[in-house]
Amino acid sequence: MIVAENVEKRFRDVEVLKRVNLRVEPGEVVTILGASGSGKSTLIRCINGLETLSGGKITVDGHDVSTKAGLVAARRASATVFQLFNLYPHMTALQNITLAPVEVLKLPKTDAEARARALLDRVGLSAQADAYPQQLSGGQRQRVGICRALAMQPRYLLLDEVTSALDPEMTGDVLRILAALAAEGTTMVFVTHEIEFARHISSRIVFLEQGELIVDLPTAKFFAEDGGLAVPRIRQFLSKMKKD
Amino acid sequence: MRYADFTPYDIILLLQGLGVTLALFVGTTLIGLFLGLLLAIVHHYRIPGCRPVIVVVTEALKNSPVLVQLFLVFFGIPAFLHIRMTPVEAATLTISLNTAAFAFVVFRSGIESIDRDQIEAAKVFGLGRSQILRLVIAPQAAAFAVGPLVGILVNQLQVTSLISVIGVFDLTKIGNILNLRTLQPFIVWAVIGLIYYLAAKALAHAGGRIEAALRKSVKWGGI
Repeated sequence: MIVAENVEKRFRDVEVLKRVNLRVEPGEVVTILGASGSGKSTLIRCINGLETLSGGKITVDGHDVSTKAGLVAARRASATVFQLFNLYPHMTALQNITLAPVEVLKLPKTDAEARARALLDRVGLSAQADAYPQQLSGGQRQRVGICRALAMQPRYLLLDEVTSALDPEMTGDVLRILAALAAEGTTMVFVTHEIEFARHISSRIVFLEQGELIVDLPTAKFFAEDGGLAVPRIRQFLSKMKKD
Repeated sequence: MRYADFTPYDIILLLQGLGVTLALFVGTTLIGLFLGLLLAIVHHYRIPGCRPVIVVVTEALKNSPVLVQLFLVFFGIPAFLHIRMTPVEAATLTISLNTAAFAFVVFRSGIESIDRDQIEAAKVFGLGRSQILRLVIAPQAAAFAVGPLVGILVNQLQVTSLISVIGVFDLTKIGNILNLRTLQPFIVWAVIGLIYYLAAKALAHAGGRIEAALRKSVKWGGI
């Protein structure tokens, strides 16, 4: 379980997260919605330890990310997929995927490669195993990014606007893969602007507004007239996103 | 045969001089590259108090004449600290530090050329500092650095000729001796110059091959 309690994050004088509380149980898909700058990505970066908290506490399966040992354990339990892929450019798709399993999980190289090839096959990239990131399209790169995360066999998948840098067609490829993962019961924390997709795969939706988590509802309730839509800010956000 | 004539033995003298020059060059290059890399790593990790010291020292080394540095080390330091220093020791120390200063700049930009995003990814996947340095930063920084480094080393090979001034029997010093004996400066210095030229060309050629090999193994084509 991922638990965020009263999480605060300040960059100098700017409060990016204000006393945010969030629980993610195993098997859940929790989508974080909110306008740009509302703190969605920062929350993910606090969970995976790329940002240090200004206040409050985050634990992943009981491991406190603000302690050194806790962060190591928390990072073992989760894996992140990034908006801009963040692949290692000097390594092939296969090497990108096997690096952490070999170096961190100490998996034998042949096992790690077998695992990586199976994942690449699953996302339709078996032919690109030896291609370098520069030789791949954005959608292909992001699929490699997803394989890289899955190769760690994480309990939690953290997805930080993973389709924001992709065109609609490539977005479709990536979302299909994520939908399949959700259907298998993969636990995900999903930051996105793809509202219809979020509605389709999420068990819960939370809404961040200027660093405050103002709504946390089961998906059906979030889109119901007497639920999320009763909150003026959310109604406004959803109608605006639909127009775009 | 007159005393002033060239003799076959002069070729051995020249080869000896070339040997001293190359030995000093290789030695100072190894020390200089190692030291420069070390400084770049220390600089990269922002070890407290080290950054300003590194920057001031390397700037001083890069922006003052090597001959002056050589005099300071050979005459100045022994006088100041009341120690003895041989010409070879002084030459090794000076050229090594000088190479380190230039190598530091290249390694530093090599490290800085690497996107922070990938380092964040490596961190999140649980790789430690030394793993990130070895597996993510170093291969990319090396491919970036090898070209400029070869250029610097070709230049440092020429710079070694300055050590003849403090009495190291390198190629230039041998040229001096031959010149005084034969009084044929045009021939002597043309031959000496040609030898330096050939050595530099061989070095550049070897560097080019290393660079090609490195880029082949990292054929992502970037940088």
